[in-house]
Amino acid sequence: MQGVSAPREPTQPVISTNSTILNMREKEKYIEEFDFPFCDESSKYEKVAKIGQGTFGEVFKARARNSNKKFVAMKKVLMDNEKEGFPITALREIKILQLLKHENVVNLIEICRTKATLHNKYRSTFYLVFDFCEHDLAGLLSNVNVKFSLGEIKKVMQQLLNGLYYIHSNKILHRDMKAANILITKSGILKLTDFGLARAFSVAKSGQVNKYTNRVVTLWYRPPELLLGDRNYGPSVDMWGGGCIMAEMWTRSPIMQGPTEQQQLILISQLCGSCTPDVWPGVENLDLYNKMELPKGQKRKVKERLKPYVKDPYGCDLLDKLLQLDPAKRYDADTALNHDFFWTDPMPCDLANMLAQHTQSMFEYLAPPRRPGHLRHHHHVAAGAKPAAPVQDSGYQDRVF
Amino acid sequence: MPYWYYDKKDLQNTPSFRDGISTDTENRYRKEGARFIIDTGSKMDLGYNTVATGVVYFHRFYMFHSFRTFPRYITACCCLFLAGKVEETPKKCKDIIKVAKSLLTEQKFASFGEDPKEEVMTLERILLQTIKFDLQVEHPYGYLLKYAKCLKGDKPKLQKMVQMAWTFVNDSLCTTLCLQWEPEVIAVALMFLAGKLSKFEVLDWNGRIPKHTAWWDMFVEDITMELLEDICHQVLDLYSPQPQSSGGDSPTGPPPAKMPKNDKKPLSVTPPTSASPVAAAAAKSAVTPSKNGAEMKFEGKLEPLRYAYPAYGALATYGGVFAGALPPPPRPGAALVAPRVYAEPPPPRFPPVNVPPPNYFPPPPPGPPPRPYYPPT
Ligand SMILES: Nc1ncnc2c1ncn2[C@@H]1O[C@H](COP(=O)(O)OP(=O)(O)O)[C@@H](O)[C@H]1O
Ligand SMILES: [Mg+2]
Repeated sequence: MQGVSAPREPTQPVISTNSTILNMREKEKYIEEFDFPFCDESSKYEKVAKIGQGTFGEVFKARARNSNKKFVAMKKVLMDNEKEGFPITALREIKILQLLKHENVVNLIEICRTKATLHNKYRSTFYLVFDFCEHDLAGLLSNVNVKFSLGEIKKVMQQLLNGLYYIHSNKILHRDMKAANILITKSGILKLTDFGLARAFSVAKSGQVNKYTNRVVTLWYRPPELLLGDRNYGPSVDMWGGGCIMAEMWTRSPIMQGPTEQQQLILISQLCGSCTPDVWPGVENLDLYNKMELPKGQKRKVKERLKPYVKDPYGCDLLDKLLQLDPAKRYDADTALNHDFFWTDPMPCDLANMLAQHTQSMFEYLAPPRRPGHLRHHHHVAAGAKPAAPVQDSGYQDRVF
Repeated sequence: MPYWYYDKKDLQNTPSFRDGISTDTENRYRKEGARFIIDTGSKMDLGYNTVATGVVYFHRFYMFHSFRTFPRYITACCCLFLAGKVEETPKKCKDIIKVAKSLLTEQKFASFGEDPKEEVMTLERILLQTIKFDLQVEHPYGYLLKYAKCLKGDKPKLQKMVQMAWTFVNDSLCTTLCLQWEPEVIAVALMFLAGKLSKFEVLDWNGRIPKHTAWWDMFVEDITMELLEDICHQVLDLYSPQPQSSGGDSPTGPPPAKMPKNDKKPLSVTPPTSASPVAAAAAKSAVTPSKNGAEMKFEGKLEPLRYAYPAYGALATYGGVFAGALPPPPRPGAALVAPRVYAEPPPPRFPPVNVPPPNYFPPPPPGPPPRPYYPPT
């Protein structure tokens, strides 16, 4: 009976089988009163607004109640329906965030808890607390009033690639690259966020293959090797997503919006050409290569189709290198950063001035749909839950592909 | 970041101690808890990394809570459960409990309460908060392999030495060494010990420079002979007859006068420099083995160092850490035994992910990807 859980009615007598160990009531009191030195209570922050709805739970903007009044983002760790305790995905995210410290990776400040009380069955709720970033890229791109110059686009991409270079050097795959997971502070610093699907990777030694799940990455940003069932992938999956995001800087909405995996592959082939062993040696060995009906005879039209949006030839060329079907030919972050795109006029230029014209935060969650009747592609919008009032000066762009 | 290293004074003034549990008894509880994690983990085919991580969580946990508040075996299960997830070798909670039940007497298992799984779930949150979500823990194993790669000498002998050091590292989990020293330091000390016992003399090593007087100078700065010996004795003490166990199977003593207070204190990363120069190794200066965190004193009369144990390979029987007064031979086949080929690279900061976590959790349902997407309508 020395249990730590199962709250009882306060009036119920407590039987203890061993008087030398705390009885349950004593223990509950202990848990309630223990001042965990390393884990502050979430009440030190005051919630200001809901800014995101995710797989693990909601994300809030909050303000520290102490003197500095600093803004933070609080991401709730969703633990209902968890049969195996604290979710392994959240543990991964925490572990990875603790490892990664870089200007272009979101900073995890701390993990907070709610007080354990009878009310919550002596089980705390946990929040990941981050430095607050004013915008996410999906929010910015959905607002027609936000205009990126070529130099500014270069700055965004340079920071994004710097972040990827850093995490890949630390043997971490992000695995969920998309505009909503790219944060930008009001001073124009880009931060990769949402390591909820990230994991450590190892370089496969010869004769040994990695077997990761290929059910990662939001469909529209998912590279062809994942769609074809590859389980031994690497950093290049993030580079594909980086390419999709880069194109989106001009098109303003995701370039390939397939409703199914099959459809997504078709869209990819229509843009990048058919997946054949010619352009992609080894593709024939992927699990689904023979099981799926793949478009044949498609020609590669990346530059041709993107040129109307991306007038800059260097930009077109870099896109072409990032949107390579064959992961082995796809540029890695280092090579991409050395591309002429970043080293020719106009040079990358600071975003702070442009962003200074916008005083309101822009998040995907708060933005109106990008087209009437369009469902926002964030996750798990609770039925009936209305997002907070959308930012006033945003609009939507028509789909371009 | 919290600093997880304590000096011996702190290790005596623990929440359990302030709660009326003697240091001897607390150390026995720690040993039993650690041993139990090792046994449970081995029985479930969990690797040495997962097991060691669980044990480190366990030791850290009891720097903030008393064994009177949280009985050791259920905490041990919880630590192993969390370590399994952190090290990408997840095991179902109910399976861990099943194995635990098979290893414990009915009386001991009674401390798991009416609904053991629920108990572990609640305890997991307390554990996470207590260890500050500081999930990634490094262990001496990787360093052992790294150091061994640099040493020159007779290959089979070297291999034997590494095996022995590996076993010492396993057993060191039953001590509070992981609360006192970084894994690098522990690795150096226990390899030093294994070298002595297996008579593997390190004459030369790769990367040697003139100012190095011993191989470990390459890896840890300013490590003193006294420190090495102190660490070795803490492990060797495991093999000596145990002090009369006091306190029985459950904590006794007065109820807590106050809530435990946290006596965390940063320590210098490098050991004190006051001790004898490394060259004194030959002199075999003897120290009083530190018992249960007592201050180390030099005795006027030097008793011979206990490095005079019989040769490692000669030992035929080993019934567990506490069975005899001799260091155990490696147990072939057991999950915790050093790999035969130590030319492997040390484990990376993140556990290698060549092998997917076994499917202990049900496979994701077929159909939509884990992150739902909302196709345009
Ligand atoms: N540090 C932050 N500052 C501002 N907004 C954030 C921050 N972290 C997350 N968000 C917002 O919350 C959304 C969801 O957070 P994310 O970490 O991506 O969780 P999920 O795994 O649920 O997608 C993001 O798309 C972003 O709009
Ligand atoms: Mg996200």
